[in-house]
Amino acid sequence: MMAKREKSSNMLIEGKTSFFKFNSHWFFLSPSVLLVSFFYFIPVALVFTIAFTNMDQLFNWRLVGLTNFLKLFTLKDPLIPRIIKNTIIYIISALPLTIIGALFISLLTMRINRTASLIFRAIFFFPRLIPPVVWGFLWMWSFEGTRYGVFNSILEGFGISPIHWFIEYPMLIVICANAFLGISLAMLIFTSAIASIPKDYIRAAEIDGASFWQTSRFIIIPLLKWPIMTMTAWHLMSFINSYVYIFLITGGGPYHATEVWALYGYNSAFKNYQYGYGSSIMVVLVIINLILLVVLLKVFGMRRMIERSRIEV
Amino acid sequence: MKKIFDKWIIYIILSLIAIPFLIMYIAFFAEAFSKGISLGIIPQKLSLSNFSFLWSTIPWGLEKTRIWGIFLNTFLFASISGLAVTVVCTLTGYALSRIEFRGKTFLLSMQLILHAVSGQILLIAIFFLLLYTKLLYKIPGVALARASLEIPLGVWMIKGFFDAVPWDIERSAMIDGCTRFQIWYKIFLPLIKPGIGAVFIWGFLFAWHDFIYVYTLLPGTVPLLSTLVQGLLATEVVDYGVIAAISLFYMLPPLFLFVFLQKALMKAPIMGGKGMA
Repeated sequence: MMAKREKSSNMLIEGKTSFFKFNSHWFFLSPSVLLVSFFYFIPVALVFTIAFTNMDQLFNWRLVGLTNFLKLFTLKDPLIPRIIKNTIIYIISALPLTIIGALFISLLTMRINRTASLIFRAIFFFPRLIPPVVWGFLWMWSFEGTRYGVFNSILEGFGISPIHWFIEYPMLIVICANAFLGISLAMLIFTSAIASIPKDYIRAAEIDGASFWQTSRFIIIPLLKWPIMTMTAWHLMSFINSYVYIFLITGGGPYHATEVWALYGYNSAFKNYQYGYGSSIMVVLVIINLILLVVLLKVFGMRRMIERSRIEV
Repeated sequence: MKKIFDKWIIYIILSLIAIPFLIMYIAFFAEAFSKGISLGIIPQKLSLSNFSFLWSTIPWGLEKTRIWGIFLNTFLFASISGLAVTVVCTLTGYALSRIEFRGKTFLLSMQLILHAVSGQILLIAIFFLLLYTKLLYKIPGVALARASLEIPLGVWMIKGFFDAVPWDIERSAMIDGCTRFQIWYKIFLPLIKPGIGAVFIWGFLFAWHDFIYVYTLLPGTVPLLSTLVQGLLATEVVDYGVIAAISLFYMLPPLFLFVFLQKALMKAPIMGGKGMA
């Protein structure tokens, strides 16, 4: 009732004075709607279209129907099983490492004094602050196979011959590089969530004689349920979608050992110039993402997160 | 006694996790400011010779490249992207915060949905979109494409600032005969300066740091700082000292921008509710 009356009174005011009628919300919304539909909706439609063509490097194309998808699903491409295996290994090791690592670090930094915990958090947050290229460079250089690599030159000091990190443990390096990026964000969220837990709960548990492990397990972690779930969902999506760091550190090599699904799509398009095939790989990802999103929306109830204006105008 | 022991264990565990990273960071700085390092982190001979790219050319393959042109291009790219994000987000944030209209809830949740389907996996389509609209290989076009990625979260950021402004101010402006646009321009923009600064930094920083869009959508002849670092790493003979120095140079400007903008923008008027109106 109230809202309706206010609305009409405001319209009255506007109606008298407004010279341009595009005063309405469309004037404010149109730039973002235009930009977002141009760079999101049209690309989604386009990627679905290109997936059904055989677009090549000369940008000649004709419709080829389901050929690309058949190549993908009937395993005519010998690399596909390997890529799927890589992707699964990558996600199921990077995701727990991120969440558990971030929880572990934030629980530990909570227990020590302020200055020390700030220093540690700064060290772990640094990866977020530096550009991806520099983060990639740090890992490439640190684990370089010759004696000029950082860790190899330290090993040399102890008389150990250089280890070819990227040939022996490529996946491990890629997982760690990505997981520690995830940890820096998740740690930030978890520490601020832990800081907002009323101190009484933890004190009461301590008085009852709970150990550090018991306090964390039975008091803090149950209270962190919401942030842990959001961060898991967030990082699941980013590990499925993002390939920039793998591209920078190993480029998918050696011999496709670190090539994950998204990176394979990128490489088929921009390295092998099979734009059609690359698009069909990305279409699979888009569909997976949409399914995941629907599931997550059901779980989280995204609508609850969106609050309406406090007063209706 | 037991407590102190516990503390030490925590310190030791944290240090064990942190040490590899500390070694990386220290090696990075040591390499940039010296003529080579031994044992990973000990600089041999301090010098600034790695920074000679600032006044002479960069040895990059057979070509001789100068850093300042690349720096200006990067700055142009990041500024266009930052400005686009700022303008679009302040407009949209106002509408989402203050105007009731049909489909608003849908639009707000849309912003979240769009953030989930990331731009990285749409890159092939964006490539062809820019190709057909003749925007490919041009800095403004790619900057706009980059800006669209930051809009969803940018809108959420600035909406919070709009929400914090008291309604009384807007009402009194309306009674005095302001149109929506005038309210937005004359009343809100001065009040949410810190928010504008934050969104601009947001857009600028991500465009400045961006690699994959620049690498894919701009030609190899127009390197930006990120593609320059990657290009130097991909050459046959890699000089880590020079790359570390250039990386350091690449990381500094956003820091300066942040310090500079923070000083200028934190002088926001204090919101006083009724007193202000």
